[in-house]
Amino acid sequence: MILLEPHNYIIQTTLVDKFSKPTTLDVQFVDFDGVRFHLSTLDRKTVLLLSMHIRCWDELVRYGAQDVLRREYGSLVQSQPESDYNISLLIDLEKAPPEGEQRDAFIHSIALMKRNALAAPFELAFKKQKELENSSSGQGDIMAIHYRDEEAIYIQAAHDRVTVIFSTIFREETDRIFGKVFLQEFVDARRLPQIQNAPQVLFTNRDPPLEIRHVPGLRDSEDIGYVTFVLFPPHFSNPHVAAGTVSHIQLFRNYLHYHIKCSKAYMQSRMRHRVSEFQKVLNRAKTEVASTERKTVTGRTLQTR
Amino acid sequence: MSNVLRPYLAAVRSTLTAALTLENFPSQVGGCSSSPSVNSIRVSIKIKQADEIERILCHKFTRFLMQRAESFIVLRRKPIKGYDISFLITNTHTESMLKHKIVDFIIQFMEDVDREISEMKLSLNARARTVAESYLTAVSLGIGYRVVTRLKCILWSYSAFAPA
Amino acid sequence: MSLLAPIICDNGTGYSKVGFAGNSDPSFVFPTAIATRGSAAQSSRSGPAVPAKPGHLASKRGVEDLDFFIGDEALANAKTPGYGVYYPIRHGQIDNWDYMERYWEQTIFKYLRAEPEDHYFLLTEPPLNPPENREQTAEIFFESFNIQGLYIAVQAVLALAASWSSNRVTDRTLTGTVIDSGDGVTHVIPCAEGYVIGSAIKHIPIAGRDLTQFVLNLMRERGEMAQVPPEDQLKVAGKVKENYTYVCQDIVKEFRKYDAEPYKYFERYDGEHSVTGRQYSLDVGYERFLAPEIFFNPEIYSSDFLTPLPEIVDSTIQASPIDVRRGLYKNIVLSGGSTMFQHFGQRLKRDLKLLVDRRLEASVISSGSALKSSGVEVDVISHKRQRYAVWFGGSLLASLPEFYSSCHTKAQYDEIGPSIGRRYKIFGSAT
Repeated sequence: MILLEPHNYIIQTTLVDKFSKPTTLDVQFVDFDGVRFHLSTLDRKTVLLLSMHIRCWDELVRYGAQDVLRREYGSLVQSQPESDYNISLLIDLEKAPPEGEQRDAFIHSIALMKRNALAAPFELAFKKQKELENSSSGQGDIMAIHYRDEEAIYIQAAHDRVTVIFSTIFREETDRIFGKVFLQEFVDARRLPQIQNAPQVLFTNRDPPLEIRHVPGLRDSEDIGYVTFVLFPPHFSNPHVAAGTVSHIQLFRNYLHYHIKCSKAYMQSRMRHRVSEFQKVLNRAKTEVASTERKTVTGRTLQTR
Repeated sequence: MSNVLRPYLAAVRSTLTAALTLENFPSQVGGCSSSPSVNSIRVSIKIKQADEIERILCHKFTRFLMQRAESFIVLRRKPIKGYDISFLITNTHTESMLKHKIVDFIIQFMEDVDREISEMKLSLNARARTVAESYLTAVSLGIGYRVVTRLKCILWSYSAFAPA
Repeated sequence: MSLLAPIICDNGTGYSKVGFAGNSDPSFVFPTAIATRGSAAQSSRSGPAVPAKPGHLASKRGVEDLDFFIGDEALANAKTPGYGVYYPIRHGQIDNWDYMERYWEQTIFKYLRAEPEDHYFLLTEPPLNPPENREQTAEIFFESFNIQGLYIAVQAVLALAASWSSNRVTDRTLTGTVIDSGDGVTHVIPCAEGYVIGSAIKHIPIAGRDLTQFVLNLMRERGEMAQVPPEDQLKVAGKVKENYTYVCQDIVKEFRKYDAEPYKYFERYDGEHSVTGRQYSLDVGYERFLAPEIFFNPEIYSSDFLTPLPEIVDSTIQASPIDVRRGLYKNIVLSGGSTMFQHFGQRLKRDLKLLVDRRLEASVISSGSALKSSGVEVDVISHKRQRYAVWFGGSLLASLPEFYSSCHTKAQYDEIGPSIGRRYKIFGSAT
């Protein structure tokens, strides 16, 4: 798996399951960026309530999340969300589209709930850019979305572009250094002919980019990095392309950290292999054919790695 | 093995062999120091680290090795100050193991550690490039999520889900 | 974001159960299998491709290690050219760390969609897991995944904790005997105050897959399976086992009952030919009570393993220290899919009680004493969460406030290193 999917797997599989066999249900689960879900049946097994809590909900509402979610889910959206959650959808399995492609699409759309909520500020910025386009100057306000405890997304529209800035924290030294290697490649990748149309990427370590330097409360430490994506109209003027752009861009931080972790896992595999190779060389030095097997009390063999 | 490294490793080999045979013969070679006493010889190695990436990879790798020191017998759990990794060969080791094979091991180790770290670095760069390209290719084409735009029309066609 | 629910991973030899603390069921139950691309020459143990010569990169694109599937998707890709399916856990213990690490990686990022940096994790281990394995696990979770905190619990202890959900359990104790029966093997594991009495553990080579095979044998002998295509037969036998079987209290009486009123006791299984679509209907008869009977009378199925389960439980407890035996008899806890048969607990309790009482009587007679023992209480606990008892016990423990203080944190790991994985703290019990 290289790219992360935009939809939530648990919502998807649980709904598929419940459509084929409705049972009472009460589960809580998560999604990236500290999003919490609660999926439960109400009085009847065929009526499900899906509630979501998202850290930056108030900010998202300011940038139109309610409208986006109403547009996507229509009357499924409950006027009063379940307590401790920001938004609830009421899903009546008996009123859902019939089995087949339409139901699959319906389930998929529900599984995109987090994606759709986070899409709001992006859509707003795209709209703002359209408005500013004719004036050929000027820019919109910076929208800040504090999607994680110490990390934020900043979005700003200008007459010819939409700038998206991610701040991200590296929990350890290895992550910071690996992260730098990855981000440098993001910056350099546009040299390739096939992705010259990709958004422009800029990266700074510690120093915030010019656009947000005046924003109060920015962290000043070595473990923070800023990644700027410059989106041009071709990335979002077509609604179809815009949807894809939003899905990918909002997952950027998770994508980066996922790959940092995968590379660490890969390094561990290499090191394990090296260790066993070294072991073989050293074993040749042993004069007697010493038994390298160690056994536990029950007689199971411990592996020498 | 690069030609630059060969004479150096040859020198290390002869020094080690000498130290292990003669004992009590102090010697000092470049980035590798060995200090024998009457019944043990310590070999400490400083691994080349040209930049931040090599430094962290070296740190991770030596830590990983030292974590498994028990199964390496001659490896110390902590390096001597100023070095990245230390070996301690005692008389018990030289009695139960072939001396020249221990030397082989140390030489092979010095060769492989360098190579492994530069390969890890290369593979990290290759991976980073693919990861960046895959992402940006997806963003520049907006691929993968065709279904998103189709959903609304499907939702609308069901009166139950029409907006209130 | 520390408020996010801890993640519970119970990785077993056959299946992995993963999900979030606080739920009553795991979010995913899928095979502990991984399908990876690898050259045939590269055995499962040789690790990732490491170049033989400098300049020869392990991979040109550098991401070949991300090309794999886990769980059901792994099995679905078993026949895809270039992929091979591997099971990283053998006999309960992790056998291939490279595969296991990647298995966890995808479990977390693809299925659970969790940022491991935001979560505490509770993992499970089999009894007598070597401390080196705990160290390696800690190394992977803290170094590769930067998790917030880690607790590794022994599976049997979690199964005990799971029984607290039963309304018959009044004191939350971690002393008891766990009978854990999955697909491959059945274990009888005595625990005293949260610690496994390793020397007394016993294994029984009879479990779910043998029951299915036995159902199949019986139905074949009666000629029922003639209508079923050979490739479907095992599956049908599995369905019959799951849906129609129960444990009887007296095998002879049960046979008589069936013969007297076959229409009352015989059931029908309706199926469909997987290729032709032709409908068929099978009689389900004696196998309904004979299948689980192999736990109590193994000679009807096996010729080399003959000791009934109650006797094994009794000898396990007798092999444990004398001062905990009462606690072990009093709290026998069932765990795993193959202990789910109706009346299983009742029968076990009755048979075991008989053995215990007989021994007491014998000792009274042989000692010639006039003093009579007050008797030994025998109780077997069945409960609703038995199927995934280990996972559920983890979910329960990780919901307790003490969980966080019993975990090793990232900061502690950074200070002490992987050896921190060797230590652990028992918590949660009321005694």
